[in-house]
Amino acid sequence: MSNRRSRQSSSALRISDDQMIDLVSKLRVLLPEIRERRRSDKVSASKVLQETCNYIRKLHREVDNLSDRLSQLLDSVDEDSQEAAVIRSLLM
Amino acid sequence: MQPTSSMKEEFLQKWQMGLQIYRPLIDNTSVSERRKAIKLSADVAMASLRRGTTCWSRALIQKTATEDNFLVRQMLSGIKAETLINKKLPKVMCHRKIVRRSKKILRRRKSRSAIEEVAAKARKLVKKKTQGLRNVVPGGEFMSNDVLLIQETLDYIVSLQTQVNVMRSIVDAAEAGSERTAYYLGKPKFAIEDG
Repeated sequence: MSNRRSRQSSSALRISDDQMIDLVSKLRVLLPEIRERRRSDKVSASKVLQETCNYIRKLHREVDNLSDRLSQLLDSVDEDSQEAAVIRSLLM
Repeated sequence: MQPTSSMKEEFLQKWQMGLQIYRPLIDNTSVSERRKAIKLSADVAMASLRRGTTCWSRALIQKTATEDNFLVRQMLSGIKAETLINKKLPKVMCHRKIVRRSKKILRRRKSRSAIEEVAAKARKLVKKKTQGLRNVVPGGEFMSNDVLLIQETLDYIVSLQTQVNVMRSIVDAAEAGSERTAYYLGKPKFAIEDG
């Protein structure tokens, strides 16, 4: 009884090998670092997952950095200046 | 799948709309408040592209709503704002206790060969990395189904790429425009490189 239940819940949690291969290949298309590596599809799943995490964190940092730069731009221009007009026309 | 130009266009429109909401306040706020406004409107713009069809986008909208409810409501007005903000995220949590207990029982019964040991370690590593993914994808904690998690991750990455792409273009253009204008006005505000 508990055997059956455990098998059910663990198969809901784990991906089958085929599904993993398919998903990994999709991730590889998106991840620039992995794309350049060896073409064999034997890149380990855990490696791909790790690279994915790293990539997402990198994108987060980039968004933060861009928000920073933009807020600085809006700050460093005078209300009436030409520069302000340029920036505001781009954004608003 | 890569960010399409229609995605980028829609993101830009929505982001601009979000920034316009802040327009009257912009001149009287600090740099850090502006920064927060820019980022939050970018996030809502990105999430709204999915119109509530993905878990990560709903989770991101809810998270942003806790930081600035007004902004989210304004940006989403007309796209069922109420339902998106209040919608309950799927509570498909795995029943960890049951799984742990059953795994313990299984372990006691089986004696493993060396190959099984290696495979088990690999699976454990994948599990650990998958958990890491849950920490970076919005709403990841609600995705106990690994297949769903990876699908959401793929979509989230494409959306993030769209967001970064557009923001980068705008910021680069604004910086260049601002430098050039300052240059032509004879203001030595920024360091200008020739050519």
